[in-house]
Amino acid sequence: MQTNDLIAALAADTRRISPRAAQQRLVVGLGLGMATAAALTIGSFGMRPDLPGALTSTQLWMKAAYTASLAVIAVLAMLHVARPEAGPTRLSWLLLIPVAVLASMSAMELMTTPGEMWMPMWLGGSWRQCSIRVVFLAVPIFAALIWSFRQFAPTNLRRAGAAAGLAAGACSATVYGLHCGEVSATFVLTWYSLGIVAATGIGALIGPRLLRW
Amino acid sequence: MVRGLDGDGAAQNALLSALAPLMRGFFARRMRGAGDDVEDLVQETLIAIHTRRASYDRNRPFTAWAYAVARYKMIDHFRRSRNHVPFEDLEEILVAEGFQDAASAKMDVNVLLGGISPKQARAIRQTRIDGLSIAEAAESAGISEADVKVSVHRGLKALAEKLKGK
Repeated sequence: MQTNDLIAALAADTRRISPRAAQQRLVVGLGLGMATAAALTIGSFGMRPDLPGALTSTQLWMKAAYTASLAVIAVLAMLHVARPEAGPTRLSWLLLIPVAVLASMSAMELMTTPGEMWMPMWLGGSWRQCSIRVVFLAVPIFAALIWSFRQFAPTNLRRAGAAAGLAAGACSATVYGLHCGEVSATFVLTWYSLGIVAATGIGALIGPRLLRW
Repeated sequence: MVRGLDGDGAAQNALLSALAPLMRGFFARRMRGAGDDVEDLVQETLIAIHTRRASYDRNRPFTAWAYAVARYKMIDHFRRSRNHVPFEDLEEILVAEGFQDAASAKMDVNVLLGGISPKQARAIRQTRIDGLSIAEAAESAGISEADVKVSVHRGLKALAEKLKGK
C-alpha cells in the first residue's frame, strides 16, 4: 500500500476526539470492570449481611478509604504511562502514604489489644480466602483496563501493566469490601494488601504481552 | 493535530502528510537504508499516530509525542527481527570493527614511542610488542642483553612519566 493512500484512508476516518478522551475511556473501563466485579461479589460470595447497618462503622470506611486511595494513585499512574513520551514517575512513592496511615492504625490496634487476641485479629475469619478473592475480582477490572489501553500509547509496557494491575487490585479490594466483614486494620493491611500486590505483580508480568501495539 | 482531534479530516490528512517525510528521515537515519523496512515503519507509525491520538495531551508538545511513538515502533521492529544483521556478513563486520580499534591503538603506540629515544623505543617495540626475547632483540640491535633490559626499563619509565604529565 502506498503511504499516500494510507494517509488518505486514515484521514477519511477522523472522528472527533474529546480533549479528555483518555480519562473518559479509563473511567468507562474502570466502571465496566467494577460493575462486573460487584456482580461477581454479590453473586458468588453474597453481600455482607449487616451491610446497611455497617455503613456507619468506621472500619468499613477505613477499608474503603485505604483501597480507594490506592486505586486513585494507580489511575493517576495509568494516565501517566498511557502517554508514549512519559518518563519515570514518582507517583509510586505516594502509595506509601495510605500504607503508612493504615500501618499506624494497625499498630494502635495491636497496642490496645491483649497479646493473645493478636492472632485471631490478624487472621480474622477469612484470611485464607481474602487475598485470592481480591485477585479473582481483579480479573474483570484488569481486562477492562487493558481494553482502555487500546487507544493509549504506553511505551513502557511493564510499568503500564503494573499500574493497571495495581488499579485492578485496589478497585477489586474496594468492591470486595461489600462482602468482607473483617474489621481489623491489621487484617486489611496484610491480606488486602497481599491481594493487591499479587494483582500488581501479575499485571507487570503479563502487561508486555497484552499491551503491545 | 488539534484540528484533527476535533474531527477535521482535511487537517488530519495534512498533518499525516507532513509527518510522513519527517518519520522517513527519522527511521532512515537510524536504520541505514533497508528501504522497505523504513517505509513499513513509517506506515505503522502513521497508523499508530492516527489510531492512538487519544493519548496525546493537547497541553503538551506534539513533536515529543509523535517521535516517542516512532521510537517505540522502531524498538518494537528491532525486537521482532532480532537477526537483523545477516549472518554471512557478520564476520566481515566484526573484522572491520576490530580493525578500526586495532589501527587507532597502533597509532597511539606509535605516537607515544616517538616521544622517547629511538634506542629505547626499538627495545620496547621488539620485546614488548613484537614478542622477541631479550637475546634476540640484543642480537638484532647489536647491543648487549643488559643494555636491552636497561633500555626497556628506562623507556617504560619515560613513557609512564609522559602519560602522567598529559
